[in-house]
Amino acid sequence: MPTVGPLPLILAIVVAVFLAAPLFVVVPMSFSTAISFEFPPPGYWLGYYRAFAADETWLIPTANSFVIALGTMAATMLLVIPAAFGFVRYRFTGKGVVNQLLMLPLIVPHLVSALGYYGFLARLQLTGTHLGVIIAHTVLSVPVAFLVICAALKGFDRNLERAAMSAGAGPLRTFLYVTLPVLRPGILVGALFAFLSSFNEAVVAIFIGGRDAATLPKKMFESIRLESDPIIAVVSTLLTGAVLLGVLIPLFFRRRPFHAA
Amino acid sequence: MYLSLRNLVKSYDGAVNAVDGINLDIKRGEFVTLLGPSGSGKTTTLMMIAGFEVPNSGEIALDGKDLARSKPYQRNIGVVFQNYALFPHMTAARNVAFPLKMRQVAAVDVKRRVDAALKLVGLEKFAEQHPRQLSGGQQQRVALARGLVFDPDVLLLDEPLGALDRNLREQMQVEIKRIQREVGVTLVYVTHDQTEAMTMSDRIAVFRNGKLEQVGPPLEIYRRPASRFVGEFIGDSNFFMARVDPARPGWIELDGIGPARVAGAGTAAPATGAVDLLVRPERMRLVVPGQADGLNTVEMRVTTLVNYGDSLLAIGTAGDRPLRLRIAGATADALQEGARVTVGWDPRDGHIVPRESLPRA
Repeated sequence: MPTVGPLPLILAIVVAVFLAAPLFVVVPMSFSTAISFEFPPPGYWLGYYRAFAADETWLIPTANSFVIALGTMAATMLLVIPAAFGFVRYRFTGKGVVNQLLMLPLIVPHLVSALGYYGFLARLQLTGTHLGVIIAHTVLSVPVAFLVICAALKGFDRNLERAAMSAGAGPLRTFLYVTLPVLRPGILVGALFAFLSSFNEAVVAIFIGGRDAATLPKKMFESIRLESDPIIAVVSTLLTGAVLLGVLIPLFFRRRPFHAA
Repeated sequence: MYLSLRNLVKSYDGAVNAVDGINLDIKRGEFVTLLGPSGSGKTTTLMMIAGFEVPNSGEIALDGKDLARSKPYQRNIGVVFQNYALFPHMTAARNVAFPLKMRQVAAVDVKRRVDAALKLVGLEKFAEQHPRQLSGGQQQRVALARGLVFDPDVLLLDEPLGALDRNLREQMQVEIKRIQREVGVTLVYVTHDQTEAMTMSDRIAVFRNGKLEQVGPPLEIYRRPASRFVGEFIGDSNFFMARVDPARPGWIELDGIGPARVAGAGTAAPATGAVDLLVRPERMRLVVPGQADGLNTVEMRVTTLVNYGDSLLAIGTAGDRPLRLRIAGATADALQEGARVTVGWDPRDGHIVPRESLPRA
């Protein structure tokens, strides 16, 4: 290893502090006794956590968010896994165009997409439904999940499948016992991204969700606009904690021997 | 014949045949090596035997049954890959058990046969390790055990030692040969390494541009190559351009050097016209001028000496042509760089091959 000066380390610390700084404000505030946003907090208690846990107007959006994010994750995987296999393993005309099309949701501003989804889903009478938000969120999460799984698939050694087949496994058993388990870390990461992109998404959710499929970010947005209620700090803290867990759990599993050295 | 390839043709692009009409018969229990430079069609041939590639035409028959249209998982053929292709999420034992589980073998028998296979390759202590915890040589042994555990009709090995370092490679050559003898499996081995081919095979099939150049036991291929290509690909070689004159049987005219005797069955060439004469560097020896009774001799100017300790390679010229001479280390005292020496060979050690019309790539 070539020796480097302390500069990279200092830069890394600065970036980490910059990224983490909001947490140092939000997390203490969630335990604050103040009636509105106030920093530093005058005192600490768990009152707003109790308030959150007792308030249906927060709990229902929380449940909605989970349902929609899980639905988005499942739908995204169902679309993206076959698409990635087709894209990485086969040659066909228009491959470049297909790739560009799949990346389109990344390029178009969410606000523009949201208007489009609204018009489209309204015609199908899916605005204000879980299904409607899931469809819109799935479109948004496809590009990143697709990239992640394509990358995993490109690094996949096809001799593993050949070895399985010569060992007597047909296409289905080869896929279930070898291809899928070996790709599992990549698929998990893709699924996690899909889940998080839906869970954190506000713009499209505000347009499509309506009252019946309101998600947590939508409710937070409304709360901050109307009430400045410190419960929002509670929700933010819980959200961050949940996301952190979601990122750390796969890391923990990855320590187990999945990858050949 | 047990495994038989008939007029096998495979083209990937429709223009060039990667495999161009291969005919090869392999006996039960035989160790056959497909040898050739990269791109000569040997791996494609192996992949067709395994069923991973479908031939454009031709037949593959195993024990009288046509294989060409059956899927890889319907054939009872084991494959060992150069990069091992072990399942990274399974322990060594579960890797080896995989083919048995796919065949619905009862759990008790799986255990017994996996243990036996791991013992065969000397890895019984590593059964519960994952591939990434094993060294390259150990991984290759697991791959061997996985390829053998289900008693395949044929075991195919695709450059299995290519990723190992030299010492380990030699060790594994001995090991693979031992295992093949012990199990008695029919084995087809692909390599571009002539040493591996020489040390392990019952027969070698030399590939060139999708065609078979020569098939035979290692020593026959070494001593009596069918062409200059085979002679140069396997072992070190000297080639003299020469002419055969039908009017002088037993003699050959070396271009720029003069007449030389030839003897025995040492020919793979037409009885007349331009040919090449092969003499292996280690069949040449230093002779005292005037005492070369019965030997062909040439004058050699030594330009470079390469000392291997046990032997000495002298590189130089005879006339204006390059010449190589390999002698035992102990007799090397007379040789100095720049020296002029007389070099001779027994007429029986000369081997005539046809002149190649096209220059080699």
